[in-house]
Amino acid sequence: MINMTGQLYYLASAEAGSDNLFAALGIDWQMLIFQMIAFVVLVLLLGKFVFPVFVKAIDDRQAKLDEAGKAAENAEKKAEEAEATIQATLKKARTEAADIVNTAKNEATQMIEKAESQAKTRSERIVAEAQEDIQKDVLAARKTLEKDTISLVKKAAGLAVAGIADDKLDTELVKKSVEGAKR
Amino acid sequence: MILTNFSAIEIHLAAQEVFKVGNFPVTNALFTGAISLILLLAVFGYVTWMLRRGRYNRFVGLVQWAFEGMLSQIESVIPDKKLARKVAPLALTIFFYVLLSYWMSILPGLDSIKVGEAPLLRSIAADLNFTFAMAIIVLVVVQYFAWKAHGPVGNAKRYLRNPLKDPIGSFEGILEFIGEASRYSALSLRLFGNCFAGEILLLIIAVLTSYLSVAMLPVFMAFELFIGFIQAYVFFILTVIFTSLAVESHGDHADSTHDHSPADAKLAPQHE
Repeated sequence: MINMTGQLYYLASAEAGSDNLFAALGIDWQMLIFQMIAFVVLVLLLGKFVFPVFVKAIDDRQAKLDEAGKAAENAEKKAEEAEATIQATLKKARTEAADIVNTAKNEATQMIEKAESQAKTRSERIVAEAQEDIQKDVLAARKTLEKDTISLVKKAAGLAVAGIADDKLDTELVKKSVEGAKR
Repeated sequence: MILTNFSAIEIHLAAQEVFKVGNFPVTNALFTGAISLILLLAVFGYVTWMLRRGRYNRFVGLVQWAFEGMLSQIESVIPDKKLARKVAPLALTIFFYVLLSYWMSILPGLDSIKVGEAPLLRSIAADLNFTFAMAIIVLVVVQYFAWKAHGPVGNAKRYLRNPLKDPIGSFEGILEFIGEASRYSALSLRLFGNCFAGEILLLIIAVLTSYLSVAMLPVFMAFELFIGFIQAYVFFILTVIFTSLAVESHGDHADSTHDHSPADAKLAPQHE
């Protein structure tokens, strides 16, 4: 087995060849400064020519993503607006339909009422005309009856008072009889 | 250098020189780091080219997804988007470069392809020069943002307080200063330790399992890939958190007169 501690001690002292710690660790100032300069140059080169292109590509893509996000947001907003418009239109259409139905109902009711009214008027007129006809018939019947009555009364009175009464008395009696009949 | 009982394994704490460019020594870590740098530039160059033309494929999408994920992490830790975008280049470079460099440590040929005595491949994350360099850069950048946010005096007050007026606070300031040093040392040593240990682990598994390593190594390589991601993420997120805490004001605590320090983050859950 390898004795690691002993080997490391040996390693360091063997590398150093002296008591110089930096030399033991393999640090050479000339090399250190050279590598610092080389690394700074590399950073500057990449920082100047390479990374800006990467960053620009990332920023551009981010900008596109933001733009797409905004577009999606706008589209969503427009869709919401369209939905609201559709809902409003539907609501308006429903209201208008309801109005139309109400109007139709009202008109129908009015028409029915009008028809009923006309029918009633007509029936009343028919009734009135019928009543008028009846009244006329009644009057005609009464006149006929009156004439018949007068005639009968004349005959009866003529028979009863054939010897004592003259035409003048007959006429007065007839009139009284007719008035009495009228009452 | 150390020769273990397994004579095939040589463990070096320091990166080894493989060749020279003029007088400048090129170590195996630097060489592998250069390869990862070329790979990183190639990947980012290709993806940038594709993005500029508005063309996409799965690979571009993957890189962009990883980038976006890390950027959103920064923006979630630092609420100020402007500051987050300023910190992003450093933090993201750290993440992607450390990730790629760490993953280089599982390349086949590790320790077997050699130039002279030195192996050609060694992850740059397993070189303290690199991890310390990054930690120093993070320290400087964090202090720069703290200065910008609080001004030089306000920032200095986090560490330096009058011991006569506020003896406990002045002691806290000293602790804070020590804390800063240890925080960045830990940041670099953590990455180095994990990557270095990972490379040694793969070597030892390869030697111990011999021919069975064909079956065993992929398991540990996958484990190393995961650890690489974790280490890159830890370095990245700590950079962002240190910046966030350094620029954060202590205004919501009535009894406090000093600016926020990263050490207070440990106390934050207790306050809630």
